[in-house]
Amino acid sequence: MSVGIEAIHPYLGQAAIDVRDLFAGRGLSLDRFDNLMMRRKSVALPCEDPVTHAVNAARPLVSRMDPSEVERIELVIAATESGLDFGKALSTYVHHHLGLPRSCRVFEVKHACYGGVAALQMAAALVASNASPGAKALVVATDVAGALEAPLRREMVEKGEGYHEPSSGTGAVAMVIGDRPDVLELDAGAHGFHSFEVMDTCRPVDNHERGDADLSLLTYLDCLEGSFADYARRVDGADYVESFDYLAFHTPFAGMVKGAHRRMMRRQRPGSTPDQIDADFERRIAPSLRYCVEVGNVYSATVFLALCGVLAHESSGKERRVGLFGYGSGCSSEFWSGVIGARSHRRFVELEVERALERRRALSIAEYDRLLDLNCGVGFGVENGSVDVEAFADLYDQQVRGRGLLVLRRIEGFHRVYEWS
Amino acid sequence: LSLEHERDRVRNVLRAKVREVLGELPAERIAAAASLKDLGANSVDRVEIAALAMEDLDLDFPLHELGDVGTIDGLVDELARRLTVTRRGAES
Repeated sequence: MSVGIEAIHPYLGQAAIDVRDLFAGRGLSLDRFDNLMMRRKSVALPCEDPVTHAVNAARPLVSRMDPSEVERIELVIAATESGLDFGKALSTYVHHHLGLPRSCRVFEVKHACYGGVAALQMAAALVASNASPGAKALVVATDVAGALEAPLRREMVEKGEGYHEPSSGTGAVAMVIGDRPDVLELDAGAHGFHSFEVMDTCRPVDNHERGDADLSLLTYLDCLEGSFADYARRVDGADYVESFDYLAFHTPFAGMVKGAHRRMMRRQRPGSTPDQIDADFERRIAPSLRYCVEVGNVYSATVFLALCGVLAHESSGKERRVGLFGYGSGCSSEFWSGVIGARSHRRFVELEVERALERRRALSIAEYDRLLDLNCGVGFGVENGSVDVEAFADLYDQQVRGRGLLVLRRIEGFHRVYEWS
Repeated sequence: LSLEHERDRVRNVLRAKVREVLGELPAERIAAAASLKDLGANSVDRVEIAALAMEDLDLDFPLHELGDVGTIDGLVDELARRLTVTRRGAES
C-alpha cells in the first residue's frame, strides 16, 4: 500500500521585509551577514493568525477535491507552536472554516518546529493502518513569529540581542495525506530518531521567543547526525550521499542548513574537499531553500516549505528520493524519506505558489514595526478585541480585500470570529 | 602530556580554525579576543569553528555539550579536558 502526501500547498503571507533592511533598522552587524543566507521574511497582518494561515494554506487543496473525497477526510491535525488557547485547539477553527465533515478526529499538536513532522507521521500511520480504507487526513503546520511589544523590542536592540528576529517568519503548509501519494510517497518504515531533553529555544510566555542560538545550532547538528545514524541502522544500505537525490531539512535559516550539510559530509565522507561539498550542496540541497530564504523560519511548517522548494525545482517527472530532516527544540528530531514522481511537480505548480510569493507587499522598517504593534493586540489570551482594518487600510485593500482569504475580525469572550475577505 | 600542553595544542587548532572560517585576522586580534563573538563570528561561524576544532582534535562527543562555553578560554579548557579524559581512557 502506498501512503504519503497527495497534495501540498504553502501559505506564504501577504507582506515581507527585506532582511538587510531589518539588520540595518535594528543596528545589527552586517559583517558576517552573507553566510546566514537570508533574503526576506514574511510578516503577518493584524487580521492574520495561525488559524487564518492554516485555512488559507488548506483551502486551495480542499476546494480542488471532489466532494466525495472531502467526505473521506477523517482526521485534521493542526501543528503549531503559536497556539491561541491552552485548551481549545485551533484545529477546531480550521475544521469549521473549511467545512469539513463532522465525522472527523480533530486535534492540535505541539513540539516546537518538530510538530508538523509529528502530525504528518500520525496521519500517515492512520492511513497505513487501513483501519478505515480510503480515509484521508488533512495536516496543517502553521506558525507566526512572536510579535514583541515596542518597549521589549527596544530592550532587545539595546542588549545586542535580536539576531533571531530576521529569520523568524510566518506562514503555513497544508497537506492531504492518503493512499494516492501524488506528491511524496513515504518510504515505509524508513525513519530515524534522535531526541533528548535540552533547553535550547522555547516560548515560555506568549510571543516571547527565548533561547540560546549556539546551543540550538549545536543540538541541531547532533540531531541530524544522530537521526541519520538511526535511519541508517533501520534502512539497509542507506548512505547520506548516494541514497537521496535531494535533501530537505528544517531550515531555521539557510546558512544553518549549509553548515549542517558541510558537517555531515565531513563526517560521512572524510576527505571531501570544500569544492566537492559545495557542489553537492548546490545539487542536492539548494533547491529546498527556494522558499525558505524568502519567507524565513515558519517553525513547525519549515521542513515542508523546504520540500515545496524541491517540488518546484524537480520538473523531470522522474522518480527522485528525498531525504527529510525535522528538528524541534527541546528536543525531538527525525530523519525520514520519500519519493517524488511523475505528478509531483505538476500538482505543485498548478497552485501558483511563485505568484503568491511575488505578490507579497514589501514593507519598510517603519511599516513592519507598526504591524508588530497592531499584532500584539489580537494574540493569545485576548478576551475581547477587534481588528481595526483602517489602521492598515492600504495593505488590506491591496493584499486581502476581495481575495477570498480567511481573516480575523474580532474576539468575543475569547472566541475568535473569522470572515472571508 | 600535561593539561597545559593540551591547552596549547587546542589553542593553536582553534586559531587555525578561526582563520579558516573568518578569513585572515591579525594574530594580535585573535590573541586579544575573549570570545569568538569579539572576532565578528556569528552563530553559524561559532558552531563551525567549534565543530572543526573537535574534528581536527579527533574528539567525538555530542556538540551540544559545548553549549555553555561562551569564551575562547572556556572552549580551550573544555576541549583540553576532554582530550585528557580521552587519552586516559585510551591508556587504561
